Amino acid sequence: MAEPAQAFQDQCVRQPEAGGAVSMGPGGSGSSNSDPARPGLSQQQRASQRKAQVRAFPRAKKLEKLGVFSACKVNDSCKCNGWKNPNPPTAPRMDLQQPAASLGDLCRSCEHTLADHVSHLENVSEDEINRLLGMVVDVENLFMSVHKEEDTDTKQVYFYLFKLLRKCILQMSCPVVEGSLGSPPFEKPNIEQGVLNFIQYKFSHLPPKERQTMTELSKMFLLCLNYWKLETPSQFRQRSQNSDVATYKVNYTRWLCYCHVPQSCDSLPRYETTHIFGRSLLKSIFSVTRRQLLEKFRVEKEKLVPEKRTLILTHFPKFLSMLEEEIYGENSPIWELDFKVPTTESVQLVSNPGVVSTATVPSAPLFSKTLNHGSSLTSINIDSTSSEPMPGEKRKLSEGLTLEDAKRIRLMGDIPMELVNEVMLTITDPAAMLGPETSLLSANAARDETARLEERRGIIEFHMIGNSLSQKSNKKILMWLVGLQNVFSHQLPRMPKEYITRLVFDPKHKTLVLIKDGRVIGGICFRMFPSQGFTEIVFCAVTSNEQVKGYGTHLMNHLKEYHIKHNILHFLTYADEYAIGYFKKQGFSKDIKVTKSRYLGYIKDYEGATLMECELNPRIPYTELSHIIKKQKEIIKKLIERKQAQIRKVYPGLNCFKEGVHQIPVENIPGIRETGWKFLGKEKGKEIKDPDQLYNTLKNILAQIKTHPSAWPFMEPVKKSEAHDYYEIIRFPIDLKTMTERLKNHYYVTKKLFIADLQRVITNCREYNPPESDYCKYANSLEKFFYFKLKESGLIEK
Amino acid sequence: MALVSADTRISELLGELHQLIKQTQEERSRSEHNLVNIQKTHERMQTENKISPYYRTKLRGLYTTAKADAEAECNILRKSLDKIAEIKSLLEERRIAAKIAGMYNDSEPPRKTMRRGVLMTLLQQSAMTLPLWIGKPGEKPPPLCGAIPASSDYVAKPGDKVAARVKAVDGDEQWILAEVVSYSHATNKYEVDDIDEEGKERHTLSRRRIIPLPQWKANPETDPEALFHKDQLVLALYPQTTCFYRALIHAPPQRPQDDYSVLFEDTSYADGYSPPLNVAQRYVVTCKETKKK
Repeated sequence: MAEPAQAFQDQCVRQPEAGGAVSMGPGGSGSSNSDPARPGLSQQQRASQRKAQVRAFPRAKKLEKLGVFSACKVNDSCKCNGWKNPNPPTAPRMDLQQPAASLGDLCRSCEHTLADHVSHLENVSEDEINRLLGMVVDVENLFMSVHKEEDTDTKQVYFYLFKLLRKCILQMSCPVVEGSLGSPPFEKPNIEQGVLNFIQYKFSHLPPKERQTMTELSKMFLLCLNYWKLETPSQFRQRSQNSDVATYKVNYTRWLCYCHVPQSCDSLPRYETTHIFGRSLLKSIFSVTRRQLLEKFRVEKEKLVPEKRTLILTHFPKFLSMLEEEIYGENSPIWELDFKVPTTESVQLVSNPGVVSTATVPSAPLFSKTLNHGSSLTSINIDSTSSEPMPGEKRKLSEGLTLEDAKRIRLMGDIPMELVNEVMLTITDPAAMLGPETSLLSANAARDETARLEERRGIIEFHMIGNSLSQKSNKKILMWLVGLQNVFSHQLPRMPKEYITRLVFDPKHKTLVLIKDGRVIGGICFRMFPSQGFTEIVFCAVTSNEQVKGYGTHLMNHLKEYHIKHNILHFLTYADEYAIGYFKKQGFSKDIKVTKSRYLGYIKDYEGATLMECELNPRIPYTELSHIIKKQKEIIKKLIERKQAQIRKVYPGLNCFKEGVHQIPVENIPGIRETGWKFLGKEKGKEIKDPDQLYNTLKNILAQIKTHPSAWPFMEPVKKSEAHDYYEIIRFPIDLKTMTERLKNHYYVTKKLFIADLQRVITNCREYNPPESDYCKYANSLEKFFYFKLKESGLIEK
Repeated sequence: MALVSADTRISELLGELHQLIKQTQEERSRSEHNLVNIQKTHERMQTENKISPYYRTKLRGLYTTAKADAEAECNILRKSLDKIAEIKSLLEERRIAAKIAGMYNDSEPPRKTMRRGVLMTLLQQSAMTLPLWIGKPGEKPPPLCGAIPASSDYVAKPGDKVAARVKAVDGDEQWILAEVVSYSHATNKYEVDDIDEEGKERHTLSRRRIIPLPQWKANPETDPEALFHKDQLVLALYPQTTCFYRALIHAPPQRPQDDYSVLFEDTSYADGYSPPLNVAQRYVVTCKETKKK
């Protein structure tokens, strides 16, 4: 680790503006500063060279050096605290040539001998002498630093450390930073733990390879932070007017004393920034660090090692955006001391084709939560309007985001970005100037569309509130709780008002409150049972004159996202007859999957009400879901339109239904085959539910295909050297080796994915090669063979 | 075919409207010069501190021109308003035709019912785009402008929105928002549709159970007498519903685009009235019966 870290620190320690030649990342070459002839040696390199030099001095010379920092011991009356050479060296930095002063030389200030100054060192071991000499060098360096430093805050700290080290040489003690700074670690969990939690939290569902990528990015990020030079408190003050400068200043001083200065002054104990600081420091530095980091990478991308370049330029911005959300998000679980990895249960959910199938999930980040103006930060969105910050969460505009930053992880098979952009334009700018009537919501707008827009414009706000017995409740929250009590009792006339009051003000119950014009207009009161893995929805209402505006749906979606953050994935509620319809629309069902033992005796039982349950999928950004689906639909529509434009043929419509026919096979619709539609009937075969069984079946088939005599051209990715334009023509390359890897990574969770890849091997071949070529003949023969195998294994119908 | 010709007519009208709006601007720029002249003349008169016959004549001429200019501009604006009204009525005709076609054409797939929220948005839009009545100087606002009721012999046209008093399933009488389908002069009865498609009910009701909704907004700045006044008892559409309830006017609108603020009768509040809620002019009508409840 030492080597690459060295390379890294060289570049990071330098001010970002300083630029200069820089090699990139762990594994990047460490050569940039290894040239001894270069005057620009890093401070710590210079310091350690100097220390080695000093420690190689003869003992007499060492004593002379130490004498300079040692008090005169002649008698108590002599206050001289350092021997001054009566014959000051004529040229500095000539220590070796300069003859060592003799022990008898008199001090220029107190006129006692050098021996009087260093008498205490007589029986001191060589190691201790060397340790003290290390401090001497550090003191000299700090002295220079104090002089050079222009920032007053920093200067002050340097001076303090300078005095501290001097005192330690004098007393032969170990330096300990004292005062109100406290001792490390200053916050728990530390940044490193938080970032590791973040990786677990956000990426544990990814296949190992992608997870590895994210882990690498996180290491890189931590390494950068450890060698990052923080901005001074005055710079910080200028940048963020209302943030807590005092706290930052304390952290900055701690960082100087424990992390930054010890890098070059190794007599001070050194800690890693990411080990002793936690979320609060990260909060105050993240936005600016992120910008500088990205800018740095952008400027220096030419100097990066190619594989690092892709990693950094494509994945890093997204990684940082997602991290930012967790840093500034109010309820991020990654900073909890007892953070646990989401249960396997939630991971398995993914392969459940229920709402978002695994096949579509990989492309979901495309549309899912957004970064845009620095707000909701799971990823950078194409659409700069769709951010959905939870109110109260602090999100700063992340200026300086470049286009490159906006590139996020793109997956093979993704729709070309231009198309996405094109479609997005039509969505975000619906028929620009058609007058007020069309610009209002259309009849097919999603139920929560208005609410989402209003939240974005700040017309409505959502807050999570609750009463507390331990803390003094703030007045606004108490007012809101009273407001909630009123809304609930008006909307739920059959509930006794006292009962509502008791629960709304119960500290174990929380309420997601909806505020409009400063007034409470709705809310969901609930109680979490983390030990039982469910939450009970107790009251849920929107005031009558604000109903049918999608607020109820948006409330429930916020509640779902809140629970995903807190890793509770089941809602239970007793719905009365009027509420059943609402809960059904919100994804609740009367079919209860949570075992009775888990909720019995916990949930409040109501007579004549129906128990309903909603299971959450942690991968769904609920408040954005309808928006995401709308975009996906639009994109698919566009794809269909393109296909239609290519085919250009009009068939007369079907008449058979008028004649009383109820159903015809799809392939009998004229023109449908010409569109490239494949008879899916043959894929109908059984779907293997058991993942292990599916894996083994696919593994077996793939092995047989690979041994087929026509398989050799498709064994490995096409080399660019053999077909230079291949990757321009073939957008989604695939080969049997890649398929084998994907199989190993459990990418093929359905047979459909597997068959699609196999088929792509063939279609790619046909697309690139002329039909009469040998390659196409191999492809034909291989296609026949694998369809035979698929049929044989029962994956598709015979 | 009728639909197609309506389409072409609408685009013609839009073209004409566009021309008129351009003309308005031309008129304005033209009269601007004259207005500046008037101002300058006044300034000069002030410095000279007397009104000479010369200025008197000059001013008279200037003012005559200015008046003519203003009238010309006003004419064009009125023409524009007429065009807009015509476009709206064509759209309305087309909507009714489509509705009838949908009703009698079985081969068409059944129309999906609108979601409640969408219906509410449409109702708000219709209230927002209700034209403002702009009379000529001295002209009184006509019936169906703001609070002014329809004349006693008025017959609402098919497609008009009305408040209709119907018997609900539980036997209670209720005022609902409905759309006129037809009127039979023989029986003096209306056929109306519940605006809420989920209701899907067609009611046959006598004239006295129908209150036509206003067709113009009254301008509080010029025709305040055409508005309900504070504390007057009215029927108002409860926000986000399709039912009218008795309410007291809390505050009439101050500007043309403002809503009424009303207090609904509501026994669940201690004082018997809801907190003030906003209801557009379009959905506030006279409350006839004062006896019941």
